[in-house]
Amino acid sequence: MAGLTLRSVYKNYGEVPVIRGVDLDIAHGEFVVFVGPSGCGKSTLLRMIAGLEDITDGDITIGDRLVNDVEPRDRGVAMVFQSYALYPHMSVYDNVGFGLKLAGTPKAVRDKKIRDAAKVLQMEHLLDRRPAQLSGGQRQRVAIGRAIVRQPDVFLFDEPLSNLDAALRVDMRMELARLHHDLGATMIYVTHDQVEAMTLADKIVVLNGGIIQQVGSPLDLYNRPANLFVAGFIGSPKMNLLAGKVQSIDGALASVSIPGAQAPLMVSAAGLTSGHAVTLGIRPHALAIAPDGQLTGTVLLVEQLGNETVVRLALTDGSEVTAALAGQGDLAPGKSVSLTFAPTDCHVFDENGGNVAL
Amino acid sequence: MKTAAPNTILARTLIILLMVITLLPFLSMLSAALAPQGSYPNGLQWPADPQWGNFARAFEVAKMDQLLWSSTLIVLGVVPLAVLMATMAGYGLAKLTSNRYKWLYLLFVFGLTLPFEAVITPLYYEVRAIGLLNTRFAIILPLIGLYMPFGVYWMRAHFLNVPHDLTEAAQLDGATRWKEFWLVQVPLARPAIMSLTILLFLWTWNQFLLPVVLVQDPMQRTMAGALGAFQGQWGTDIPLLCAGSLLILTPTVLIFLIFQRQFVAALMQGAVKG
Repeated sequence: MAGLTLRSVYKNYGEVPVIRGVDLDIAHGEFVVFVGPSGCGKSTLLRMIAGLEDITDGDITIGDRLVNDVEPRDRGVAMVFQSYALYPHMSVYDNVGFGLKLAGTPKAVRDKKIRDAAKVLQMEHLLDRRPAQLSGGQRQRVAIGRAIVRQPDVFLFDEPLSNLDAALRVDMRMELARLHHDLGATMIYVTHDQVEAMTLADKIVVLNGGIIQQVGSPLDLYNRPANLFVAGFIGSPKMNLLAGKVQSIDGALASVSIPGAQAPLMVSAAGLTSGHAVTLGIRPHALAIAPDGQLTGTVLLVEQLGNETVVRLALTDGSEVTAALAGQGDLAPGKSVSLTFAPTDCHVFDENGGNVAL
Repeated sequence: MKTAAPNTILARTLIILLMVITLLPFLSMLSAALAPQGSYPNGLQWPADPQWGNFARAFEVAKMDQLLWSSTLIVLGVVPLAVLMATMAGYGLAKLTSNRYKWLYLLFVFGLTLPFEAVITPLYYEVRAIGLLNTRFAIILPLIGLYMPFGVYWMRAHFLNVPHDLTEAAQLDGATRWKEFWLVQVPLARPAIMSLTILLFLWTWNQFLLPVVLVQDPMQRTMAGALGAFQGQWGTDIPLLCAGSLLILTPTVLIFLIFQRQFVAALMQGAVKG
């Protein structure tokens, strides 16, 4: 078992830069999730750690060993692919045991390890089957089993749940969390699903355009997004972002005018200067209905989820705001609604998109 | 009762017609083969007294047992080696070749455009220079080479379709390229290898031109090649000639019947992959 460090890691495909200077420390036993939109370089970064992609510049260290030029098989990593990548011509038993067989593990030891892994993953009854005879979830289990029998230093998961249906995804997510807890191994997980990222990670790495946007615990990222990208990416429904201008500062509060509201909005003044253009970020869950709320608009769309109601409304200037309101409201499209929020719940970003409070 | 749609009836009629056209020459050969020795059979005419003994005689005079053995030796010399080399080269070109060397594959495609007839004369001098003329190696070695373009093209098409993830999974599982090839790729390529084996078997077995040009002794040729000599020798005895031809055909037909399914699959595979 080992930690992992990335130092100034770059990757170019010809002239096109894909990873642009990544520095990252992953402690032993940590569950790290790389998250970001399609094409942000998260899978490439994972594959560089696995050794399946060369690195253009920089250093990757696993444990105390520089692995830049080490073959994938000698890096002490195991990977679970999005496509599962099971060997179609082998039984589940042989699939799981393939790595051990190649390593020359004695048959008795191999058999025990395979059966132990099967027990952990509750797939003992599947050992004689071929991959083609398994469902998506079962195949995923086999792929994970193949990884765990080898007892690698680092587990790598490349969007392992994206081919599963929603219900199964939730189950497998919990199983992965349990597995991480039981094995205590270092795990790196790539996903574009922020719910997976929030629920599984000790540490989330948000990537965009080959650059790390922010590294932190899930709640860190949710409560203190470093920039507009992270603010918009983490949290569902997405954070509302409203462009405005700082009017005046009065002690701990600043008043910010936005085109969609009649009166200026009051937000925390930390880091603000009068006259500067800013972007306000308010999470849909931070909004609540109040008779004299700061934001007034007309309801466009209502989504009843049972435990909450998601409302989309248009402000006076036509800009749109989403609110997630507790319970089951009797809102209908066309109705006028007034919303309020606490000044501390409002994130303020400067002209460059950085969070002024950080 | 269900009545067939006009289209179905038309289709069936056409198929039956096609079958008749295809089978007619063989039926004609069969009727001729059963005619009395020395007679000149008149097209499709069932003889009053079928001479089944003609087959036995043809078997004897054509030394069919020796021919079978010779053909088998040639097939055994050509097919396993050609399939092995085509599989390895196909894997290499599909999975191991970087973009810089992709043009290598074009050499094989170019080879596909060369007809055997175009190279037969230089081949004759080559084989003579090496001193293999009139031996079975004069057929085996050139055939292996001549099958390479198609074999490599065929196997490369297969390997291109194997997901790259499997290669990477095997690498991470600790496999060297060599082990990945033998333990993962070859077992997965079994259908393609089977098809290629059957096609190369048929082509070798039916090889006519090379044996006739490069090997003088009919007993060292393939069965199809020996047919040439047989015809020259017994060209006036039509019933015997027909019986001999039918006998020479038999192994191919038997092989086809046994591997019918794989054979059709092989042809279909070619159709889809182009």
